[in-house]
Parts: sequence; C-alpha cells; structure tokens
Amino acid sequence: MAPTHDPQLLKGVLSLLLLRLLAERESYGYEIVQRLRELGLSDISEGSVYPALARLEREGRLETRLVASRSGPARKYYRPTAAGAQALAEGTASWLSLAAVVHPALVRRLPDPSTSTEET
Amino acid sequence: MATPRSALDRLRIERAVWAVDARLGDLPRRSRVSRRRELRDNLLAASEDVGARQAVRQLGDLRILAAGYVAAEYGELSRRPSWTAAVATLFLIEAAMTLLEYVGRTGFDSGITSATPHATGTFRWAGFPYLISDETFTYLNGTHTSVGGAWTPLVYVLMFAGAFVAGRMWRLIPAWRRQRSQARPAVAWEEGNGDRA
Repeated sequence: MAPTHDPQLLKGVLSLLLLRLLAERESYGYEIVQRLRELGLSDISEGSVYPALARLEREGRLETRLVASRSGPARKYYRPTAAGAQALAEGTASWLSLAAVVHPALVRRLPDPSTSTEET
Repeated sequence: MATPRSALDRLRIERAVWAVDARLGDLPRRSRVSRRRELRDNLLAASEDVGARQAVRQLGDLRILAAGYVAAEYGELSRRPSWTAAVATLFLIEAAMTLLEYVGRTGFDSGITSATPHATGTFRWAGFPYLISDETFTYLNGTHTSVGGAWTPLVYVLMFAGAFVAGRMWRLIPAWRRQRSQARPAVAWEEGNGDRA
C-alpha cells in the first residue's frame, strides 16, 4: 500500500515541486499530476494541484501557452518565468537548509526508555 | 490506457466542470472561462487514463477545488470584488436617499419659513412618492419639530436588488478595461497576469 503524505506538509512544498518539474519540462495540468504521482505522491489530489498552478501563474512565476491537442481542445502548458526560476532557486536552498537541520534530528536514534530515566 | 468516451462519460465530466464553474462567480469572466476550459481538458485527459468516473473522483471535493481557484486569484484573505461592489452599492443608495431626503425636507422648511418667518402650526410634507413617506412639521415661532418621513419598503428593496445586481455586474469594469487594452499586439506566450482583467 502506498504511503500517505501529510497534506499540510505537502502544501508547503507543492509550489516548489511544481516549479522544479516544470523547469525540467513544460507540462499541462493532468500531466503534472501524473508526474507527481510517478515521484511517489500517489495520493495527491488533482484538486490541490490545479489551484496551485493557477496561483503560481497569478504570481507571475509560471507562464502558459496553448498547444493544439489531437484528442480535444488546445492544452494549456505551463513553464516557469524568470521570477519562477528565481523562486525555485531560493525555495530549493531554503528547503535543503531546513532539511539539513530537521532530517538528522528525526532519524537520530531515540534513547532507550529504561536507561533514560533519571537515577535517584 | 485510453478508453473511448461515452455520452455518459461526457455528461459526468460536464457536470463536474459546471459544478466548479458555478462556484467561480467571483472570478473575472476571462479567467473563469480559462479555468473552465482547462479543467475540462484535464478531465478529458484523465478520463482517457482512468475513466470519467475516476477522473472526476480524483478531483476531490469540487467546492474545495473552486475555493482554491478563487483563492489563487485573490489570495486567501482578500475581499472578493462582488462583495465590495455590493457593499459600495448599499452605501451609494443610502447616501443618495439621505441626500434626497435632506433636500426635500430643507426645501419644504425653507418654503414655510420664507413665507412665514415666525410660523406656528402644523404642516404636512407629502414626501417623495414611493420613496419617502409623508412628514408632519410642527412649527412654533419659526422653529420646528417633525414626525414621519421614513423610507418606504421599496427603498430597501432597491438597496438589496442594487447590491445583488452590482455584485453580479462588477465584471463589466474589467471587461471595459480589457477592451481598451486589446489594441496591444498579441504575444505567443501569455504572461502570468495577461489572462486577467
């Protein structure tokens, strides 16, 4: 069974992930969802990804273009703007800095409860 | 894997699209149309993979999705233009009625006191038909007290109808601005804010 992810934690890094994936390759909405699922975020909701794309577009971090599709109407492809690339660089540095602090603390071996109590 | 779309599948997709669209009333028209088209396209793409029923299910709660789109447009806590327009209309009508009442009452009082500077007695002002009810002025040596002159229920109906209409029609302003800016040459790539009013 695929692991579930805390939606609040995911919400914090979703924009960063979207910018990163789109910097690698421009994509349309559903394709991005598929790429996120391939990363391991199998429980991610499309309903959280589409508004995140809309917000990044409004903030000027993504730009769009319409590409004709054989299977239906033209698809809206997203890719980062210069501001988006800068936000990606800053966000990545911030995330790595935070992870460098949080990860070692979380994976540290817990003390044995029987030996950690104060001796009287 | 691609699966052929039946009429029922198209109906499922359209129902989801319109359920979201119905909750996007606060978005500028162009942005709303753009979101609707994009959502439909994504659902069509997803339905080829997993079928229409599952594609719609994967969207999650449609109310949350619509709220996400609106928050993406205006931010989480900012005021919605429809509410701003409605409240502004309420205040505008109230100000107009207050001004009308003031002008009417002042005119009536001026008429009485200019004809009879030290008027004493009771006089009736008919008010404004359908808007302000009649008012009784009681004079004693040129100074007066008054009773009546209330706004009729029609005024309150107009207030709330006006607020509702303004709340729906605020899009005319960005549409008008957009028309003015349409002279600019089109570009291949839409800028981040270029899709909005």
